[in-house]
Amino acid sequence: MKRWIAIVVIVLVAMAVPQVLNPSGYWMRVFTLTLLFAAMAQAWNLIGGLANQLSLGHAAFFGIGAYTSTILLLKFGISPWIGMFAAGALGGLAALVIAVPTMRLQGHYFALATLAFGEVARVIANVWTSLTGGPGGLSVPFVPPSFAAYSFKQLLPHAYIALVALIIVTVIFEVIRRGAMGYRLRAIRENAAAAEVIGIDTTKVKLQTAVISGVLTAMLGTLFAQVAVFFDPDTAFSAASISIRVALIAIIGGVGTAVGPILGAFFIVPIEELMNDLFSSGAAGLSQLIFGVILIVVILWRPRGLVTIFEALRARLQGRGAQS
Amino acid sequence: MIPAQPLLEIKALNAGYGGIEVLHDIDIEMQEGEFVCIIGANTAGKSTILRAISRLVPNVRGTLRFKGVDLAARTAHDIPSLGIAHVPEGRHVFPDMSVEENLMLGAFTARKSTDLKQRMERIFELFPRTRERRAQLAGTLSGGEQQMVAVGRALMLQPKLLLLDEPSHGLAPKVVEEMHDAFVKIHQGGTSILLVEQNVGLALDVAARGYVLESGRVTLKGTSAELNANPAVRAAYLGI
Repeated sequence: MKRWIAIVVIVLVAMAVPQVLNPSGYWMRVFTLTLLFAAMAQAWNLIGGLANQLSLGHAAFFGIGAYTSTILLLKFGISPWIGMFAAGALGGLAALVIAVPTMRLQGHYFALATLAFGEVARVIANVWTSLTGGPGGLSVPFVPPSFAAYSFKQLLPHAYIALVALIIVTVIFEVIRRGAMGYRLRAIRENAAAAEVIGIDTTKVKLQTAVISGVLTAMLGTLFAQVAVFFDPDTAFSAASISIRVALIAIIGGVGTAVGPILGAFFIVPIEELMNDLFSSGAAGLSQLIFGVILIVVILWRPRGLVTIFEALRARLQGRGAQS
Repeated sequence: MIPAQPLLEIKALNAGYGGIEVLHDIDIEMQEGEFVCIIGANTAGKSTILRAISRLVPNVRGTLRFKGVDLAARTAHDIPSLGIAHVPEGRHVFPDMSVEENLMLGAFTARKSTDLKQRMERIFELFPRTRERRAQLAGTLSGGEQQMVAVGRALMLQPKLLLLDEPSHGLAPKVVEEMHDAFVKIHQGGTSILLVEQNVGLALDVAARGYVLESGRVTLKGTSAELNANPAVRAAYLGI
Protein backbone atom coordinates (compact mmCIF):
# COMPACT_ATOMS: atom_id res chain seq x y z
CA MET A 1 0.00 0.00 0.00
CA LYS A 2 2.72 2.46 1.04
CA ARG A 3 4.60 1.44 -2.05
CA TRP A 4 1.67 2.28 -4.33
CA ILE A 5 1.24 5.69 -2.71
CA ALA A 6 4.92 6.42 -3.30
CA ILE A 7 4.65 5.37 -6.95
CA VAL A 8 1.56 7.53 -7.56
CA VAL A 9 3.20 10.55 -5.89
CA ILE A 10 6.38 10.15 -7.96
CA VAL A 11 4.41 9.85 -11.22
CA LEU A 12 2.32 12.92 -10.33
CA VAL A 13 5.46 14.93 -9.56
CA ALA A 14 7.02 13.79 -12.82
CA MET A 15 3.86 14.92 -14.62
CA ALA A 16 3.93 18.30 -12.89
CA VAL A 17 7.58 19.07 -13.61
CA PRO A 18 7.15 19.92 -17.34
CA GLN A 19 4.40 22.39 -16.39
CA VAL A 20 6.84 24.57 -14.47
CA LEU A 21 9.66 24.38 -17.00
CA ASN A 22 10.02 26.57 -20.08
CA PRO A 23 8.11 24.50 -22.70
CA SER A 24 11.04 24.56 -25.16
CA GLY A 25 13.82 25.53 -22.81
CA TYR A 26 17.14 23.97 -21.94
CA TRP A 27 15.91 22.25 -18.77
CA MET A 28 12.93 20.78 -20.60
CA ARG A 29 15.46 19.13 -22.91
CA VAL A 30 17.48 17.87 -19.97
CA PHE A 31 14.34 16.51 -18.30
CA THR A 32 13.22 14.72 -21.50
CA LEU A 33 16.67 13.21 -22.09
CA THR A 34 16.83 12.11 -18.47
CA LEU A 35 13.54 10.22 -18.86
CA LEU A 36 14.70 8.67 -22.13
CA PHE A 37 18.01 7.57 -20.65
CA ALA A 38 16.20 6.17 -17.61
CA ALA A 39 13.99 4.11 -19.95
CA MET A 40 17.02 2.93 -21.92
CA ALA A 41 18.87 1.97 -18.76
CA GLN A 42 15.74 0.08 -17.70
CA ALA A 43 15.71 -1.83 -21.01
CA TRP A 44 19.43 -2.51 -20.55
CA ASN A 45 18.63 -3.70 -17.02
CA LEU A 46 16.83 -6.74 -18.46
CA ILE A 47 20.12 -8.03 -19.87
CA GLY A 48 22.53 -6.42 -17.44
CA GLY A 49 20.48 -6.89 -14.30
CA LEU A 50 18.26 -9.93 -14.75
CA ALA A 51 20.39 -12.00 -17.11
CA ASN A 52 23.58 -10.68 -15.52
CA GLN A 53 25.24 -10.07 -18.88
CA LEU A 54 27.02 -6.72 -19.04
CA SER A 55 26.22 -5.41 -22.50
CA LEU A 56 28.33 -2.57 -23.84
CA GLY A 57 26.71 -2.66 -27.25
CA HIS A 58 23.23 -1.26 -26.73
CA ALA A 59 24.05 1.69 -28.99
CA ALA A 60 23.62 -0.78 -31.87
CA PHE A 61 19.89 -1.20 -31.11
CA PHE A 62 19.47 2.45 -30.21
CA GLY A 63 21.05 3.64 -33.47
CA ILE A 64 19.07 1.13 -35.53
CA GLY A 65 15.90 2.53 -33.94
CA ALA A 66 16.80 6.15 -34.61
CA TYR A 67 17.79 5.44 -38.21
CA THR A 68 14.91 3.10 -39.08
CA SER A 69 12.08 5.47 -38.21
CA THR A 70 13.85 8.51 -39.67
CA ILE A 71 14.67 6.77 -42.97
CA LEU A 72 11.08 5.54 -43.25
CA LEU A 73 9.87 9.08 -42.64
CA LEU A 74 12.32 10.61 -45.12
CA LYS A 75 11.86 8.13 -47.93
CA PHE A 76 8.24 7.07 -47.56
CA GLY A 77 6.67 9.69 -45.32
CA ILE A 78 5.75 7.03 -42.74
CA SER A 79 4.83 8.45 -39.33
CA PRO A 80 7.45 7.75 -36.65
CA TRP A 81 4.68 6.19 -34.55
CA ILE A 82 4.58 3.37 -37.09
CA GLY A 83 8.30 3.61 -37.82
CA MET A 84 8.86 2.96 -34.13
CA PHE A 85 7.47 -0.57 -34.49
CA ALA A 86 9.58 -1.25 -37.56
CA ALA A 87 12.50 0.01 -35.47
CA GLY A 88 11.56 -2.38 -32.67
CA ALA A 89 11.39 -5.32 -35.08
CA LEU A 90 14.81 -4.55 -36.54
CA GLY A 91 16.25 -3.91 -33.08
CA GLY A 92 14.96 -7.29 -31.89
CA LEU A 93 16.42 -8.98 -34.96
CA ALA A 94 19.77 -7.29 -34.37
CA ALA A 95 19.69 -8.39 -30.73
CA LEU A 96 19.07 -11.98 -31.82
CA VAL A 97 21.92 -11.86 -34.33
CA ILE A 98 24.30 -10.43 -31.73
CA ALA A 99 23.10 -12.62 -28.87
CA VAL A 100 23.32 -16.01 -30.60
CA PRO A 101 27.13 -15.98 -30.78
CA THR A 102 27.82 -13.84 -27.68
CA MET A 103 25.38 -15.12 -25.03
CA ARG A 104 27.56 -18.11 -24.27
CA LEU A 105 30.31 -15.72 -23.25
CA GLN A 106 30.47 -14.48 -19.71
CA GLY A 107 31.71 -11.45 -17.85
CA HIS A 108 34.36 -9.40 -19.60
CA TYR A 109 34.21 -11.49 -22.75
CA PHE A 110 30.53 -10.74 -23.29
CA ALA A 111 31.11 -7.05 -22.55
CA LEU A 112 33.93 -6.84 -25.09
CA ALA A 113 32.07 -8.80 -27.76
CA THR A 114 28.99 -6.56 -27.48
CA LEU A 115 31.19 -3.46 -27.47
CA ALA A 116 32.69 -4.69 -30.74
CA PHE A 117 29.25 -5.29 -32.26
CA GLY A 118 28.18 -1.76 -31.33
CA GLU A 119 31.27 -0.35 -33.03
CA VAL A 120 30.65 -2.48 -36.11
CA ALA A 121 27.15 -1.01 -36.33
CA ARG A 122 28.61 2.49 -36.11
CA VAL A 123 31.11 1.81 -38.87
CA ILE A 124 28.41 0.33 -41.11
CA ALA A 125 26.20 3.40 -40.58
CA ASN A 126 29.13 5.64 -41.51
CA VAL A 127 29.94 3.70 -44.66
CA TRP A 128 26.47 2.85 -45.98
CA THR A 129 26.01 6.36 -47.29
CA SER A 130 23.17 5.59 -49.72
CA LEU A 131 20.92 4.49 -46.86
CA THR A 132 22.10 6.46 -43.84
CA GLY A 133 23.57 9.58 -45.37
CA GLY A 134 26.94 8.52 -43.96
CA PRO A 135 28.96 10.72 -41.61
CA GLY A 136 26.88 13.73 -42.67
CA GLY A 137 24.04 12.41 -40.55
CA LEU A 138 20.29 12.68 -40.95
CA SER A 139 17.84 15.47 -40.20
CA VAL A 140 14.33 14.54 -39.23
CA PRO A 141 12.28 16.43 -41.88
CA PHE A 142 9.89 19.14 -40.82
CA VAL A 143 6.28 17.97 -40.86
CA PRO A 144 3.29 20.18 -39.95
CA PRO A 145 2.84 19.72 -36.20
CA SER A 146 0.31 17.08 -35.17
CA PHE A 147 0.22 14.21 -32.76
CA ALA A 148 -0.34 11.67 -35.55
CA ALA A 149 2.77 12.89 -37.34
CA TYR A 150 4.77 12.88 -34.06
CA SER A 151 5.68 16.51 -34.69
CA PHE A 152 5.32 19.28 -32.11
CA LYS A 153 6.05 22.98 -31.84
CA GLN A 154 7.42 22.62 -28.34
CA LEU A 155 9.52 20.14 -26.42
CA LEU A 156 6.79 19.72 -23.81
CA PRO A 157 4.91 16.82 -25.52
CA HIS A 158 8.22 14.99 -25.97
CA ALA A 159 8.72 15.10 -22.22
CA TYR A 160 5.34 13.42 -21.66
CA ILE A 161 5.98 10.82 -24.34
CA ALA A 162 9.32 10.02 -22.72
CA LEU A 163 7.59 9.74 -19.34
CA VAL A 164 5.03 7.29 -20.74
CA ALA A 165 7.86 5.32 -22.37
CA LEU A 166 9.73 5.11 -19.07
CA ILE A 167 6.60 3.89 -17.28
CA ILE A 168 5.93 1.24 -19.94
CA VAL A 169 9.50 -0.08 -19.93
CA THR A 170 9.55 -0.12 -16.13
CA VAL A 171 6.28 -2.07 -16.00
CA ILE A 172 7.63 -4.58 -18.54
CA PHE A 173 10.79 -4.93 -16.45
CA GLU A 174 8.82 -5.57 -13.25
CA VAL A 175 6.42 -8.03 -14.88
CA ILE A 176 9.35 -10.04 -16.24
CA ARG A 177 11.29 -9.83 -13.00
CA ARG A 178 8.41 -11.13 -10.90
CA GLY A 179 7.14 -13.73 -13.35
CA ALA A 180 8.27 -17.19 -14.34
CA MET A 181 10.86 -15.75 -16.69
CA GLY A 182 12.31 -13.72 -13.82
CA TYR A 183 12.70 -16.90 -11.78
CA ARG A 184 14.42 -18.63 -14.68
CA LEU A 185 16.78 -15.69 -15.07
CA ARG A 186 17.44 -15.61 -11.36
CA ALA A 187 18.25 -19.31 -11.33
CA ILE A 188 20.65 -18.85 -14.24
CA ARG A 189 22.25 -15.85 -12.54
CA GLU A 190 22.73 -17.63 -9.23
CA ASN A 191 23.92 -20.95 -10.58
CA ALA A 192 23.92 -21.63 -14.30
CA ALA A 193 24.91 -25.29 -13.96
CA ALA A 194 22.12 -26.02 -11.50
CA ALA A 195 19.63 -24.14 -13.69
CA GLU A 196 20.51 -26.36 -16.63
CA VAL A 197 20.16 -29.63 -14.67
CA ILE A 198 16.69 -28.71 -13.43
CA GLY A 199 15.59 -28.24 -17.03
CA ILE A 200 15.91 -24.53 -17.77
CA ASP A 201 16.95 -23.84 -21.34
CA THR A 202 19.51 -21.23 -20.32
CA THR A 203 20.40 -20.18 -23.86
CA LYS A 204 16.78 -19.68 -24.90
CA VAL A 205 15.88 -17.63 -21.84
CA LYS A 206 18.88 -15.36 -22.34
CA LEU A 207 18.06 -14.94 -26.03
CA GLN A 208 14.45 -14.01 -25.23
CA THR A 209 15.68 -11.42 -22.74
CA ALA A 210 18.16 -10.00 -25.23
CA VAL A 211 15.49 -9.67 -27.92
CA ILE A 212 13.04 -7.89 -25.60
CA SER A 213 15.81 -5.54 -24.50
CA GLY A 214 16.79 -4.90 -28.14
CA VAL A 215 13.21 -4.20 -29.22
CA LEU A 216 12.64 -1.69 -26.40
CA THR A 217 15.99 0.04 -26.90
CA ALA A 218 15.38 0.47 -30.64
CA MET A 219 11.91 1.94 -30.02
CA LEU A 220 13.49 4.40 -27.59
CA GLY A 221 15.96 5.25 -30.35
CA THR A 222 12.99 6.47 -32.40
CA LEU A 223 11.85 8.71 -29.55
CA PHE A 224 15.39 10.08 -29.31
CA ALA A 225 15.50 10.83 -33.05
CA GLN A 226 12.28 12.86 -32.74
CA VAL A 227 13.71 14.88 -29.85
CA ALA A 228 17.19 15.32 -31.31
CA VAL A 229 15.95 16.21 -34.84
CA PHE A 230 19.50 15.79 -36.14
CA PHE A 231 21.93 12.93 -35.51
CA ASP A 232 24.86 11.19 -37.19
CA PRO A 233 26.35 7.68 -36.80
CA ASP A 234 28.84 8.84 -34.20
CA THR A 235 26.10 10.12 -31.89
CA ALA A 236 23.41 7.47 -32.45
CA PHE A 237 25.85 4.54 -32.34
CA SER A 238 28.24 6.08 -29.80
CA ALA A 239 30.01 3.63 -27.51
CA ALA A 240 30.75 6.29 -24.89
CA SER A 241 27.63 8.42 -24.86
CA ILE A 242 25.08 5.65 -25.49
CA SER A 243 26.34 2.12 -24.73
CA ILE A 244 28.58 2.83 -21.78
CA ARG A 245 26.42 5.65 -20.47
CA VAL A 246 23.31 3.46 -20.37
CA ALA A 247 25.21 0.70 -18.54
CA LEU A 248 26.71 3.28 -16.18
CA ILE A 249 23.29 4.73 -15.33
CA ALA A 250 21.95 1.31 -14.39
CA ILE A 251 25.07 0.40 -12.42
CA ILE A 252 25.25 3.70 -10.49
CA GLY A 253 21.55 3.48 -9.73
CA GLY A 254 21.46 -0.20 -8.82
CA VAL A 255 21.53 -3.13 -11.22
CA GLY A 256 18.60 -5.55 -11.26
CA THR A 257 16.13 -3.25 -9.52
CA ALA A 258 13.35 -1.26 -11.17
CA VAL A 259 14.22 1.89 -9.21
CA GLY A 260 17.96 1.75 -9.94
CA PRO A 261 18.02 2.97 -13.57
CA ILE A 262 15.58 5.79 -12.78
CA LEU A 263 17.68 7.00 -9.84
CA GLY A 264 20.82 6.60 -11.90
CA ALA A 265 19.47 8.64 -14.81
CA PHE A 266 18.19 11.43 -12.59
CA PHE A 267 21.61 11.55 -10.98
CA ILE A 268 23.92 11.20 -13.97
CA VAL A 269 22.20 13.08 -16.79
CA PRO A 270 21.49 16.36 -14.93
CA ILE A 271 24.87 16.35 -13.16
CA GLU A 272 26.67 15.83 -16.44
CA GLU A 273 24.74 18.76 -17.92
CA LEU A 274 25.42 20.90 -14.88
CA MET A 275 29.14 20.15 -15.01
CA ASN A 276 29.26 21.11 -18.68
CA ASP A 277 27.35 24.28 -17.87
CA LEU A 278 29.59 25.28 -14.97
CA PHE A 279 33.04 24.25 -16.13
CA SER A 280 33.04 24.10 -19.91
CA SER A 281 34.32 27.67 -20.05
CA GLY A 282 37.33 26.62 -17.95
CA ALA A 283 40.21 24.42 -19.02
CA ALA A 284 39.45 21.82 -21.69
CA GLY A 285 38.23 18.56 -20.18
CA LEU A 286 37.73 20.06 -16.72
CA SER A 287 33.99 19.27 -16.67
CA GLN A 288 34.60 15.63 -17.65
CA LEU A 289 37.31 15.36 -15.02
CA ILE A 290 35.02 16.63 -12.26
CA PHE A 291 32.19 14.42 -13.51
CA GLY A 292 34.54 11.43 -13.42
CA VAL A 293 35.60 12.20 -9.87
CA ILE A 294 31.95 12.43 -8.79
CA LEU A 295 31.24 9.01 -10.36
CA ILE A 296 34.23 7.45 -8.59
CA VAL A 297 33.14 8.87 -5.24
CA VAL A 298 29.58 7.58 -5.71
CA ILE A 299 30.75 4.11 -6.72
CA LEU A 300 33.04 3.95 -3.68
CA TRP A 301 30.29 5.22 -1.40
CA ARG A 302 27.52 2.99 -2.80
CA PRO A 303 29.13 0.06 -4.65
CA ARG A 304 25.76 -1.63 -5.10
CA GLY A 305 24.08 1.49 -6.42
CA LEU A 306 22.18 4.50 -5.18
CA VAL A 307 19.14 2.31 -4.36
CA THR A 308 20.99 1.10 -1.30
CA ILE A 309 20.48 4.56 0.21
CA PHE A 310 16.84 3.61 0.73
CA GLU A 311 17.78 0.36 2.46
CA ALA A 312 20.14 2.25 4.75
CA LEU A 313 17.48 4.89 5.49
CA ARG A 314 14.88 2.24 6.28
CA ALA A 315 17.29 0.43 8.58
CA ARG A 316 18.08 3.70 10.38
CA LEU A 317 14.41 4.61 10.79
CA GLN A 318 13.60 1.18 12.18
CA GLY A 319 16.59 1.44 14.49
CA ARG A 320 15.36 4.76 15.81
CA GLY A 321 11.85 3.35 16.20
CA ALA A 322 13.22 0.54 18.32
CA GLN A 323 15.09 2.96 20.60
CA SER A 324 12.17 5.24 21.39
CA MET B 1 10.84 -64.60 -22.25
CA ILE B 2 11.56 -61.19 -23.69
CA PRO B 3 14.18 -59.38 -21.63
CA ALA B 4 12.82 -56.21 -20.07
CA GLN B 5 14.04 -52.97 -21.59
CA PRO B 6 16.83 -51.64 -19.39
CA LEU B 7 16.26 -48.32 -17.63
CA LEU B 8 19.70 -47.11 -18.56
CA GLU B 9 21.85 -48.54 -21.30
CA ILE B 10 25.36 -47.27 -21.88
CA LYS B 11 27.45 -49.07 -24.48
CA ALA B 12 30.92 -48.26 -25.79
CA LEU B 13 30.61 -44.73 -24.44
CA ASN B 14 33.50 -42.40 -25.14
CA ALA B 15 33.26 -38.89 -23.83
CA GLY B 16 35.47 -35.95 -23.09
CA TYR B 17 36.02 -32.24 -22.98
CA GLY B 18 37.51 -30.46 -25.95
CA GLY B 19 40.11 -32.73 -27.51
CA ILE B 20 40.71 -34.75 -24.35
CA GLU B 21 38.88 -38.01 -23.97
CA VAL B 22 38.03 -38.88 -20.38
CA LEU B 23 35.91 -42.00 -20.80
CA HIS B 24 36.84 -45.00 -22.91
CA ASP B 25 34.41 -47.74 -23.97
CA ILE B 26 32.18 -47.58 -20.92
CA ASP B 27 29.45 -50.25 -20.64
CA ILE B 28 26.88 -49.77 -17.90
CA GLU B 29 23.39 -51.20 -17.70
CA MET B 30 20.74 -50.56 -15.09
CA GLN B 31 17.29 -52.10 -14.66
CA GLU B 32 14.36 -50.21 -13.26
CA GLY B 33 14.44 -50.13 -9.46
CA GLU B 34 18.16 -50.73 -9.07
CA PHE B 35 20.60 -48.91 -6.80
CA VAL B 36 23.99 -48.92 -8.51
CA CYS B 37 27.20 -47.16 -7.61
CA ILE B 38 30.28 -46.15 -9.54
CA ILE B 39 33.41 -46.07 -7.45
CA GLY B 40 36.97 -45.15 -8.17
CA ALA B 41 39.66 -42.63 -7.40
CA ASN B 42 39.45 -38.94 -8.07
CA THR B 43 39.81 -38.05 -11.78
CA ALA B 44 38.85 -41.58 -12.82
CA GLY B 45 35.97 -40.04 -14.79
CA LYS B 46 33.07 -40.95 -12.50
CA SER B 47 31.41 -37.54 -12.66
CA THR B 48 31.85 -37.46 -16.42
CA ILE B 49 29.60 -40.52 -16.76
CA LEU B 50 26.79 -38.71 -14.94
CA ARG B 51 27.49 -35.51 -16.88
CA ALA B 52 27.35 -37.49 -20.12
CA ILE B 53 23.94 -38.91 -19.18
CA SER B 54 22.71 -35.38 -18.38
CA ARG B 55 24.18 -34.17 -21.65
CA LEU B 56 26.43 -31.69 -19.89
CA VAL B 57 29.44 -33.12 -21.74
CA PRO B 58 29.48 -31.91 -25.31
CA ASN B 59 31.45 -34.71 -26.96
CA VAL B 60 29.97 -38.19 -26.60
CA ARG B 61 30.23 -41.26 -28.84
CA GLY B 62 28.53 -44.56 -28.30
CA THR B 63 25.12 -45.68 -27.07
CA LEU B 64 23.40 -43.68 -24.37
CA ARG B 65 19.79 -44.74 -23.87
CA PHE B 66 17.24 -44.12 -21.16
CA LYS B 67 14.17 -46.37 -21.45
CA GLY B 68 15.02 -46.78 -25.10
CA VAL B 69 15.29 -43.01 -25.72
CA ASP B 70 18.53 -41.91 -27.32
CA LEU B 71 19.95 -39.34 -24.93
CA ALA B 72 22.74 -38.28 -27.27
CA ALA B 73 20.12 -36.57 -29.44
CA ARG B 74 18.85 -34.49 -26.50
CA THR B 75 20.12 -31.29 -24.90
CA ALA B 76 20.81 -30.79 -21.22
CA HIS B 77 17.59 -28.96 -20.40
CA ASP B 78 15.54 -31.73 -22.06
CA ILE B 79 16.84 -34.39 -19.71
CA PRO B 80 14.80 -33.61 -16.56
CA SER B 81 11.51 -33.95 -18.41
CA LEU B 82 12.49 -37.51 -19.38
CA GLY B 83 12.62 -38.39 -15.68
CA ILE B 84 16.30 -38.05 -14.91
CA ALA B 85 17.31 -35.80 -12.05
CA HIS B 86 20.95 -34.93 -11.53
CA VAL B 87 22.43 -33.70 -8.26
CA PRO B 88 25.73 -32.24 -9.42
CA GLU B 89 28.89 -32.36 -7.37
CA GLY B 90 29.48 -29.45 -5.05
CA ARG B 91 26.04 -28.56 -3.68
CA HIS B 92 24.67 -26.45 -6.49
CA VAL B 93 21.86 -24.60 -4.72
CA PHE B 94 20.53 -21.17 -5.67
CA PRO B 95 22.11 -19.22 -2.81
CA ASP B 96 19.88 -16.14 -2.80
CA MET B 97 16.63 -18.09 -2.94
CA SER B 98 14.83 -19.61 0.01
CA VAL B 99 14.80 -23.35 0.57
CA GLU B 100 11.21 -23.47 -0.64
CA GLU B 101 12.01 -21.53 -3.80
CA ASN B 102 14.90 -23.90 -4.49
CA LEU B 103 12.61 -26.89 -4.11
CA MET B 104 9.88 -25.37 -6.28
CA LEU B 105 12.39 -24.70 -9.04
CA GLY B 106 13.24 -28.41 -8.99
CA ALA B 107 9.73 -29.08 -10.28
CA PHE B 108 10.28 -26.49 -12.98
CA THR B 109 9.56 -28.90 -15.83
CA ALA B 110 6.55 -30.26 -13.94
CA ARG B 111 5.04 -26.84 -13.23
CA LYS B 112 1.59 -27.93 -14.29
CA SER B 113 1.43 -30.71 -11.69
CA THR B 114 -1.07 -30.13 -8.93
CA ASP B 115 0.67 -32.15 -6.22
CA LEU B 116 3.72 -29.95 -5.75
CA LYS B 117 2.76 -29.25 -2.13
CA GLN B 118 2.65 -32.98 -1.34
CA ARG B 119 5.96 -33.52 -3.10
CA MET B 120 7.53 -30.83 -0.95
CA GLU B 121 5.93 -32.35 2.13
CA ARG B 122 7.61 -35.69 1.36
CA ILE B 123 10.97 -33.96 1.08
CA PHE B 124 10.41 -32.24 4.43
CA GLU B 125 9.69 -35.68 5.91
CA LEU B 126 12.85 -37.12 4.38
CA PHE B 127 15.01 -34.20 5.55
CA PRO B 128 13.26 -32.63 8.55
CA ARG B 129 15.87 -29.90 8.71
CA THR B 130 14.78 -28.51 5.35
CA ARG B 131 11.34 -27.95 6.87
CA GLU B 132 12.82 -25.96 9.75
CA ARG B 133 14.80 -23.86 7.29
CA ARG B 134 12.15 -23.54 4.59
CA ALA B 135 12.11 -19.73 4.57
CA GLN B 136 15.86 -19.29 4.95
CA LEU B 137 18.14 -18.39 2.04
CA ALA B 138 19.86 -21.53 0.80
CA GLY B 139 23.24 -19.78 0.71
CA THR B 140 23.15 -19.34 4.50
CA LEU B 141 22.72 -23.05 5.25
CA SER B 142 25.44 -25.44 6.38
CA GLY B 143 27.08 -27.70 3.82
CA GLY B 144 24.99 -30.69 4.80
CA GLU B 145 21.75 -28.73 4.70
CA GLN B 146 22.62 -27.37 1.27
CA GLN B 147 23.19 -30.91 0.06
CA MET B 148 19.78 -31.88 1.43
CA VAL B 149 18.24 -28.99 -0.51
CA ALA B 150 20.07 -30.06 -3.67
CA VAL B 151 18.85 -33.65 -3.32
CA GLY B 152 15.36 -32.46 -2.40
CA ARG B 153 15.26 -30.20 -5.43
CA ALA B 154 16.08 -33.18 -7.65
CA LEU B 155 13.35 -35.26 -5.98
CA MET B 156 10.72 -32.60 -6.64
CA LEU B 157 10.78 -33.88 -10.20
CA GLN B 158 9.76 -37.36 -8.97
CA PRO B 159 12.46 -38.78 -11.21
CA LYS B 160 12.65 -42.38 -12.46
CA LEU B 161 16.41 -42.15 -12.17
CA LEU B 162 18.36 -40.11 -9.66
CA LEU B 163 22.00 -39.29 -10.45
CA LEU B 164 23.99 -38.47 -7.33
CA ASP B 165 27.48 -37.04 -7.75
CA GLU B 166 29.67 -37.28 -4.63
CA PRO B 167 26.83 -36.40 -2.28
CA SER B 168 28.91 -37.02 0.83
CA HIS B 169 31.92 -35.04 -0.27
CA GLY B 170 33.08 -32.60 2.41
CA LEU B 171 30.34 -33.44 4.89
CA ALA B 172 30.66 -34.39 8.54
CA PRO B 173 30.48 -38.18 9.16
CA LYS B 174 27.17 -37.88 10.98
CA VAL B 175 25.59 -35.97 8.08
CA VAL B 176 27.02 -38.50 5.62
CA GLU B 177 25.22 -41.25 7.50
CA GLU B 178 21.99 -39.25 7.49
CA MET B 179 22.40 -38.74 3.75
CA HIS B 180 22.89 -42.40 3.05
CA ASP B 181 19.90 -43.35 5.18
CA ALA B 182 17.87 -40.95 3.05
CA PHE B 183 19.16 -42.55 -0.15
CA VAL B 184 18.06 -45.96 1.05
CA LYS B 185 14.59 -44.54 1.75
CA ILE B 186 14.43 -42.85 -1.65
CA HIS B 187 15.36 -46.14 -3.29
CA GLN B 188 12.74 -48.02 -1.28
CA GLY B 189 10.23 -45.46 -2.53
CA GLY B 190 10.78 -46.77 -6.05
CA THR B 191 13.40 -44.40 -7.47
CA SER B 192 16.37 -45.94 -9.25
CA ILE B 193 19.67 -44.45 -8.16
CA LEU B 194 23.04 -44.18 -9.83
CA LEU B 195 25.51 -43.03 -7.20
CA VAL B 196 29.04 -41.80 -7.78
CA GLU B 197 31.18 -41.96 -4.65
CA GLN B 198 34.75 -41.64 -3.54
CA ASN B 199 33.76 -43.03 -0.18
CA VAL B 200 33.80 -46.63 -1.38
CA GLY B 201 32.85 -48.21 1.95
CA LEU B 202 29.67 -46.20 2.22
CA ALA B 203 28.77 -46.62 -1.44
CA LEU B 204 28.98 -50.40 -1.25
CA ASP B 205 26.94 -50.27 1.94
CA VAL B 206 23.91 -48.71 0.30
CA ALA B 207 24.11 -49.84 -3.34
CA ALA B 208 23.41 -53.38 -4.48
CA ARG B 209 25.87 -53.38 -7.35
CA GLY B 210 28.86 -51.40 -8.42
CA TYR B 211 31.26 -50.57 -11.18
CA VAL B 212 34.90 -49.72 -10.51
CA LEU B 213 36.31 -47.04 -12.74
CA GLU B 214 40.02 -46.52 -13.33
CA SER B 215 41.45 -43.92 -15.70
CA GLY B 216 38.21 -43.73 -17.62
CA ARG B 217 37.66 -47.49 -18.02
CA VAL B 218 35.46 -49.93 -16.16
CA THR B 219 37.95 -52.38 -14.66
CA LEU B 220 35.62 -54.34 -12.41
CA LYS B 221 31.94 -54.85 -11.79
CA GLY B 222 29.85 -56.95 -9.49
CA THR B 223 27.53 -57.00 -6.53
CA SER B 224 28.54 -54.95 -3.54
CA ALA B 225 29.39 -58.10 -1.62
CA GLU B 226 31.67 -59.29 -4.41
CA LEU B 227 33.40 -55.94 -4.65
CA ASN B 228 33.71 -55.72 -0.90
CA ALA B 229 35.43 -59.10 -0.88
CA ASN B 230 37.67 -58.34 -3.85
CA PRO B 231 41.29 -58.03 -2.66
CA ALA B 232 42.13 -55.38 -5.25
CA VAL B 233 39.20 -53.20 -4.18
CA ARG B 234 40.03 -53.72 -0.55
CA ALA B 235 43.64 -52.72 -1.07
CA ALA B 236 43.03 -49.78 -3.35
CA TYR B 237 39.91 -48.16 -1.86
CA LEU B 238 39.13 -49.57 1.52
CA GLY B 239 42.64 -49.39 2.88
CA ILE B 240 42.48 -52.89 4.28
